[in-house]
Amino acid sequence: MRSLQRIPCVWIFLSVLVKENRMKRFIFLSVLIAMAVFFADIGPAQDLTSLKEAFRKIRSVKAEFLQKRSLPILTKPLFSEGRLFFSMPDSLRWEYLSPLRSVMLRKGNNIQIYNFSDGVWKPELAQAVESRRMVLAEISHWFQGRFDESTAFRPSYSPGPPGRVLLVSREGINKFINRIEIILSLRPGVIDRVEIEEPGGSRTSIEFKNVEINLSLPSEVFEKP
Amino acid sequence: MIRRKGLDIFLLGFLILSIGCVPKSKTTLSPGPPEDLTGCHAIFPAEPWESVHKIEATFGGGSSSLIGITKGEPSERRFQSVLLTPDGFVLFDAERRVKGISVRKAVAPFDSPAFARGLIEDVSLLFLPPAAKPTTWKKETNGTMICKWENPENSTEITGSMDKSWRILRRDKYGEVTKEVVLNGPFLNGLASRIEYRAFKPAPYLLRMTLIQTCP
Repeated sequence: MRSLQRIPCVWIFLSVLVKENRMKRFIFLSVLIAMAVFFADIGPAQDLTSLKEAFRKIRSVKAEFLQKRSLPILTKPLFSEGRLFFSMPDSLRWEYLSPLRSVMLRKGNNIQIYNFSDGVWKPELAQAVESRRMVLAEISHWFQGRFDESTAFRPSYSPGPPGRVLLVSREGINKFINRIEIILSLRPGVIDRVEIEEPGGSRTSIEFKNVEINLSLPSEVFEKP
Repeated sequence: MIRRKGLDIFLLGFLILSIGCVPKSKTTLSPGPPEDLTGCHAIFPAEPWESVHKIEATFGGGSSSLIGITKGEPSERRFQSVLLTPDGFVLFDAERRVKGISVRKAVAPFDSPAFARGLIEDVSLLFLPPAAKPTTWKKETNGTMICKWENPENSTEITGSMDKSWRILRRDKYGEVTKEVVLNGPFLNGLASRIEYRAFKPAPYLLRMTLIQTCP
């Protein structure tokens, strides 16, 4: 860190180098990743226990998403488009197609992140990859629908329609995220959108479309950018 | 270790060569006619602006992608800059004011005052002309502007035209180039579509910036 103090202009160098903040910096991404689990057959569930039971029927998910990022600095929100692939028990591809092409791949304990630049996929810094691993480990119980065991969020569920899962941040996490609301589609097994509220007035809305469940997904989807 | 040492030597050599390849100013200038003076400010926003850039950063041994947002008020020499990860997480949020820098949010290791000063200096070079009037300037017959600001600590030189591209050179007090910026059109609301920002000292890095959103 002392050397960083002496090189003030090298601001890009500095990402993801300090262990103590790994958890903080990727809470946001982790929330996005964790939402993959909600593509479960959770339409008719009446409570969190039945949600957890419904997750056991899901083998895979494929979907596209439109992310709308609203920040106080921006007059117009920033839109990102992407797609996700999820396969039980622990394979995930979360990919942004625009405005930046970036992809995070998880298969078992193997995590890779790539950014598309100069016509080729370039691996993200090793430290950034490692930070994702830490967070994914922290939220692994989410992938199994075990929201009531989360140390980060306090969950509640209302059957609707539309059904809604509300995750309210516990102490510590609330410095970065106030709450997350997942709005379920009337179509069983599909969610319409997710709303994330942060302190200071920033918001993120993610709308899902073309959701397909229990497809056969080739292994390389989770291995190669 | 040997491989690492070899890499270090390669990077050092590359750095030296890079600096050596940046031409020093050869044109002898003097204060030009007042009507040409506005051309020296053509690449800097004259009105309040808001821009979103895709940033691809390349440095010794790695690369990274970020989103950079800048919103400014040129008449007050004030702007706010925000850095985001590709997934939208805010890493850094600070404001440049007349009386200094105000950091609203900074996630470590972006939370040192030195870092904030460095980023604000970089963004200032891109969006704000030096505060004083240029010491010398000239408009060539083909429309190319050459303007230079000098002070005891450094100098800033801009060359170009809106129908081609612009280059900004920042030199230290010894005359060595520390920063080189190339701005390429088309220009949207006066902002370059593509920017290459190359830093040579104290450490080399390259930022490729693509304008993805601007307002108004």
